[in-house]
Amino acid sequence: MSIYHYTVRRLFYAIPILIGVTLVIFILFNVVAGDPTLTLLGRYATLQQMAELRHELGLDKPLLLQYLDTLRSTFTLQFGRSWSTNQPISQMIQVGAYASLTLSVPAFVLASLLSIAMALLAAFFRDTLLDRSLVVISVIMMSVSVLAYILFGQWVFAYKLGWFEIAGYEYGFPYFIPYIILPAMIWIVLSIGPDVRFYRTIILDEVHQDYVRTARAKGLANRTILFKHVLKNAMIPIITNLVTQIPSLILGALLIESFFGIPGLGNITLQAINNSDFPVIKAMTILSSMLYIIFNVITDILYTLVDPRIKLN
Amino acid sequence: MKNLSRFGALALIILAVWLYARSVRVPQGQNEKVLVTTSEVQIKGFDPAQIDDLYSSREATRVYEGLLTYHYLKRPHELVPNLAVSLPTVSEDGCVYTFTLREGVKFHDNACFPSGQGRELTAEDFVYAIKRVADPKVRSSWFSVVAGKIKGLDAWRDKYTDTAHTDYSEAVEGLKALDRYSLQFTLTQPWPQFLYILAMNFCCVVPQEAVQYYGEEFLNHPVGTGPFTMEAFNPQLNKLVYHKNPTFRDKRFPSEASEGYQHLLADAGKKLPLVDKIITHILPEEQPRWLKFQQGAIDIADIASDNIALEVIKGNTIVPQLQEKGVQLCLEQAPMTSFFAINNDCEPFKNNAKLRQALSLAFDGQRYNELFFNGSAVSAQSIIPPGLSGYQRDYVNPYKQYDLAKAKQQLAAAGYPEGKGLPVITLDVRANTKQKQEGEFFKKCMEGIGVKIRVVPNIFPELLKKMSQRKTMMHAISWGADYPDAENFLQLFYKSHQSMSAGLNFNDAAYNALYERATNMQPSEERTILYEQLNRMLAECAPVVYSIHQAHPVLYHGWVKNYLWSNYCGGLEQYINIDLDQKKALQARF
Repeated sequence: MSIYHYTVRRLFYAIPILIGVTLVIFILFNVVAGDPTLTLLGRYATLQQMAELRHELGLDKPLLLQYLDTLRSTFTLQFGRSWSTNQPISQMIQVGAYASLTLSVPAFVLASLLSIAMALLAAFFRDTLLDRSLVVISVIMMSVSVLAYILFGQWVFAYKLGWFEIAGYEYGFPYFIPYIILPAMIWIVLSIGPDVRFYRTIILDEVHQDYVRTARAKGLANRTILFKHVLKNAMIPIITNLVTQIPSLILGALLIESFFGIPGLGNITLQAINNSDFPVIKAMTILSSMLYIIFNVITDILYTLVDPRIKLN
Repeated sequence: MKNLSRFGALALIILAVWLYARSVRVPQGQNEKVLVTTSEVQIKGFDPAQIDDLYSSREATRVYEGLLTYHYLKRPHELVPNLAVSLPTVSEDGCVYTFTLREGVKFHDNACFPSGQGRELTAEDFVYAIKRVADPKVRSSWFSVVAGKIKGLDAWRDKYTDTAHTDYSEAVEGLKALDRYSLQFTLTQPWPQFLYILAMNFCCVVPQEAVQYYGEEFLNHPVGTGPFTMEAFNPQLNKLVYHKNPTFRDKRFPSEASEGYQHLLADAGKKLPLVDKIITHILPEEQPRWLKFQQGAIDIADIASDNIALEVIKGNTIVPQLQEKGVQLCLEQAPMTSFFAINNDCEPFKNNAKLRQALSLAFDGQRYNELFFNGSAVSAQSIIPPGLSGYQRDYVNPYKQYDLAKAKQQLAAAGYPEGKGLPVITLDVRANTKQKQEGEFFKKCMEGIGVKIRVVPNIFPELLKKMSQRKTMMHAISWGADYPDAENFLQLFYKSHQSMSAGLNFNDAAYNALYERATNMQPSEERTILYEQLNRMLAECAPVVYSIHQAHPVLYHGWVKNYLWSNYCGGLEQYINIDLDQKKALQARF
């Protein structure tokens, strides 16, 4: 099966997933969430004004019709405007994605490189003090809450030592750089713990394979074995882990963005929830589902490139 | 050796990136006076007809202005003309108000004007702005404030409720531009609060050109006559930047001040605004806001809703560590009352004043004040906060005294001895730590008389929804004034079963009649007596459990001059000055 056919088929499978996602979000919004008209109209709202606004927003239509509207916007990708800011949602996503990506891309790249390097090191020196130390450090890093890292980082490194900006963000290169270093470092610390342990396990599995023994018997250097053979064969789970993280890079990190005042997509989502801004909540949920679907397809395709034994059908 | 040099190179790269990052700064003019403030909440936009929250209003009044404002340095607050030349002439029957506008006032330069240059403000602009509030397509909730008050405005609105287009050229009897600079309002009946209403943000003037040019996104493109301009507002950016309006009229710093505020007259007579630029950072979290303030990166920190206020303010002064850094405290009484609201239309509270009185008597207000406000708040004996006529410093509400024995008596008289037979009462609060703690405190107080409370946290829209659907039994809420008249608070109980307001669903014929009489009177001793009488009626009915009137603490650095907080006065930042030399000297201490 060609990549084209495979992609089309997988995207076709995505339709029921998207219908399910929209149904869940629609039910949650209509059953659990607050009344958006109150948030939008403010404290002097009269019951009549609320009814008028409900009518204007289509919230007084039968639920089935409302859900069909939601489905229509999902499949046409026309999310309209935000109820609270009146901005086109596509524009909001564009602006938010820029801020999120300026933080997440460097953090992700560095975290991935460091994790793989540390995992290789741990595997290479397995059962030594270095290996155990790396594992213990990883577990400690995983165990500490993200909030603790943020509060500690802001207090010690930004406020006391003055090495970084405490919070804030400036649009445009290079002005955002001072504002992303500390949050990016926290992102890296948060990612390294679980990633090192995961990659180490994968690499150790490979290290015990016959072909490694053969390579050693042939007299190949350890570094060559690790980088040329072991790493290549361990790539499938590594790719899976890396590619499935990409949607979350675009979607932002709620807590980090909120504490550092970074106007990314995480921040937009949080505001939308607080304001009962359903079109934005809907757009963000659908966007995240789509991204996960797309990147899962990309992962599958990458498997075939890394390992020719894997066929798309 | 090779590995070592690789690590060395990597360390050098990291060091270089870090040093570069530290050197990167957004260009800023030398000796530019920049005032840096923060907001803990996202700004919803800049359309005066649509914004209703405190934070957005504060930002909007830097750009927009109205006919009237409040004197910056006088307390109690005093109305003064802003875009009007003077206070209006009022007809004998109290129904016709005629204003003369200042000549030569210009809107900000903006692409919405044909030449890009702001045109002169005229009386027609005010007619347009008020009509906009009434336009059903604008969906301004502020219309309910003026509904039925201006002759012909309701009929004009009704005419366009179901039409695709609203005709602004159609005349409204009570809203006329007599000539280029004369504006006349004709009311349906005397309305003593009318001038206060005109000083509110929703009555600020907006140019029709900007509304038409920017359409649905007008709220993100502020074009006013105010002291500061803003090119465009993007709600996604967590930073707002304002520049001094180069075409701002000749407005001067006041030369008079009430007693106690004379020290703020150093810049008397100087042309406003006094700073070149304002930057507002949106920082929802308390820690970064507080750290940035301590670092000197933020000039003013409004800590009214922050937990840090408990740590840094002791006995109405700030702790010595901050004093050493030259930090100043502005502690003004907020026109605000916090209370535990009761849904008076739901069982078991309906027609059971004794039960409501029992809850009020069982609430330990003093302990609450000590725990949550370091004892700095004023115990609320009535709905009217200090500073407004009708507030009595020595008034003692007979049901607002912590008296468990009396509370138990009232509970028994209500038909629930020791709480037996009383269902569990839900108390809805906002889902933040402080409100949850306050709810738990209330629960603990009520346990003292055998009343069981269940605290229910909600996100704010959810709480509003429950209130509007009358699904709460009790809920914690604060009410702040929009103008300095106790009517703003007393209206919460006036036929509140018919409106959303504070979700009290209270309806008492005697109260309604007295309220109507009092609020139709001009400010006078007689009206104050009626306000006090209304307070006493409410004390007997106990439709809420009053908690406190809170002071509003704001910290600012020593280099910030002339700062005075006000709940009503918009565009405060035009009066603020920055002493750049002192800033350098004080920052050296950090």
